[in-house]
Amino acid sequence: MGMKKLDVEKSLLLTAVAAFILFSVGAVLTTVVPPMVDKSLWTTENDVHEYTEQELRGIAIYKREGCVYCHTQQIRKLDSDERRYGWRLVNAPASEAWEYVNDKTHFLGTKRTGPDLARVGGKYSSEWHWAHFKNPRNMGEKFPDRKGIYEKASIMPSFAYLSDDEIRDLTAYIQTLGRNKNWRVDENGNPLNDYEQ
Amino acid sequence: MKQDTAAKTMVIGSTLFFGAALTMGLLTALKFIAPTVGEIEYLSLPRVRMVHTNINLFGWLLQANMGVLFWILPRILHTKLFSEKLGVAMAALYNLAIIGGLVSIFLGRVKNVEYGEIPAPFDYLVAVCWVMFAINIFGTVATRKVKYLYVTVWYTLGAVIWTTFVYITGNMLSQMPMVAGVNQANLIWFYVHNAVGLIFTPMGVAIAYYLIPKQLDTPIYSHKLSMIGFWVISFVYVWTGAHHMIHGPVSHWLQTVAIIFSFSLIIPVVAVITNFFGTFATAPRGTRMDGPIPKLLMMGTVYYIFTCLQGPFQAIRSVNEITSKTDWVVGHAHMALFGAFSYYAMAGIYYVAPKLAGRELFSKKLGDLHFWIMTIASVPFFAVLWISGVIQGFAWLNPENTFVETLAALKHAHVVRFASGGLIFAAYFLFLYNVLQTFFGKYGEQDETESVA
Repeated sequence: MGMKKLDVEKSLLLTAVAAFILFSVGAVLTTVVPPMVDKSLWTTENDVHEYTEQELRGIAIYKREGCVYCHTQQIRKLDSDERRYGWRLVNAPASEAWEYVNDKTHFLGTKRTGPDLARVGGKYSSEWHWAHFKNPRNMGEKFPDRKGIYEKASIMPSFAYLSDDEIRDLTAYIQTLGRNKNWRVDENGNPLNDYEQ
Repeated sequence: MKQDTAAKTMVIGSTLFFGAALTMGLLTALKFIAPTVGEIEYLSLPRVRMVHTNINLFGWLLQANMGVLFWILPRILHTKLFSEKLGVAMAALYNLAIIGGLVSIFLGRVKNVEYGEIPAPFDYLVAVCWVMFAINIFGTVATRKVKYLYVTVWYTLGAVIWTTFVYITGNMLSQMPMVAGVNQANLIWFYVHNAVGLIFTPMGVAIAYYLIPKQLDTPIYSHKLSMIGFWVISFVYVWTGAHHMIHGPVSHWLQTVAIIFSFSLIIPVVAVITNFFGTFATAPRGTRMDGPIPKLLMMGTVYYIFTCLQGPFQAIRSVNEITSKTDWVVGHAHMALFGAFSYYAMAGIYYVAPKLAGRELFSKKLGDLHFWIMTIASVPFFAVLWISGVIQGFAWLNPENTFVETLAALKHAHVVRFASGGLIFAAYFLFLYNVLQTFFGKYGEQDETESVA
């Protein structure tokens, strides 16, 4: 045993090979094996929204503007998440891997300086988003509920520098978020938007 | 080509980048308390944040580590750097790649890879630089004049090998067309965590393993602990990426694996820390804290153990429920990359800059002052982020609190973060001045005779 240790410490080749082999066990088991064991990480039988050209442009803007650094896109399997990001008295269902299989650019995120956006699609009208991108701290007369604490405490940057088309593209993408699970429906099973009620 | 030109280039380059990184950090913190400051596209909050992390990781920390190791390794191995020309070419290409990458980020050309936003072709250039670095390291070790490989060499070799795969997985493989959704997220978090764990940890620890015994003029406390630390870390670190998705949409078993291995990390970390503190303890008491170098090494080690104890506990499902996605994580990341590894890198620069300049450090007293201001500012800087993280985490549990109310509660914390960050920024200039004076200042002849006498 003692001899063996000395050999490793004398040899560039042995040290390098041993360090690589020890590393590669965990590397393979945590990157290559998961998609083999868990097919839902990349494929599903369920209906998943195929993004339109416009929504894909919106995704590119979402990435370029770094939205993900303040907004996660994952409802965790926690009561607090499901209630906070729910709709009226309906809890938001926790996010599942299959819902993301068409996202070539994932935005799961690590930090919530702003709220999670995984189920935000349909919660606010596109007009609301327009006003909010232009000035998050003053959305004008049309949205009186955004007075008070929003004006004082919101620290979202203004995206007034985006062109009108860019805001439309970005909003089109945001309106798709969370709709792969049909969790807000009327009595006939049609999807409902909050602002239409 | 003159010996150590590559080391000198990278030490100076990284010192300048450090200031740019802190500037961007301070601007980010300012935008948290005054969101309308600098309201133009190129300085929007997320872009400044991306530039901040990328300068810190690549312009500052990785470059500082490579520069310091370019000086240290030939000394340990009693040889010259394998190829000085290759080293200088790599240093030049690397700085161009990083600057190109940073300009791209400002312009909004980014990848969706946290810590890896730098887009093609600049990320590929970074990979090319890494191969050039690897050739130089392997070449230097192969042409050594000593038989045994010291711990510093093991960690450097490990970093070179592991980082190659970690960087390619996160920056190239994750962007392949067939990789999407949670699978892509998993590859990227494999990169994000191992960028800290298998790039900056081994390089930082490599530098500390050389500097601590050298500076204190005493042998390393325990050879056995060195070995345990290295071989266990090379096995356990890589499994932990999925702990960024605890309670999230990734497979439950993968989360559990990540949690178990996050906990196993206590073993190598305690081995390394015990070894460092043990070495400090056996050094002569009178002089062991003399000047900024041992102070930075000691404080870096203290931050290292704190950050590495936070990590395993944050990974527990119940603790994670409160701390994850909050300011806590920001505090944790800063203690690792700023508290532990930037402290080691600054110690490394204070050590090698005088050797590269061929004279004493410009001012030990100024170095001490830099250390004390930075340290006294960094404690509230980290702590306020943890406190606000815990406040935020508990506030989120109650659905009666609207999101914006939970954010409003952090206003004072964000002011303290900006103020203490400003003090860290101020202390940096003492470091910069000291290093630049050491290289280019008009002093020296007298000091040299003094030190001889």
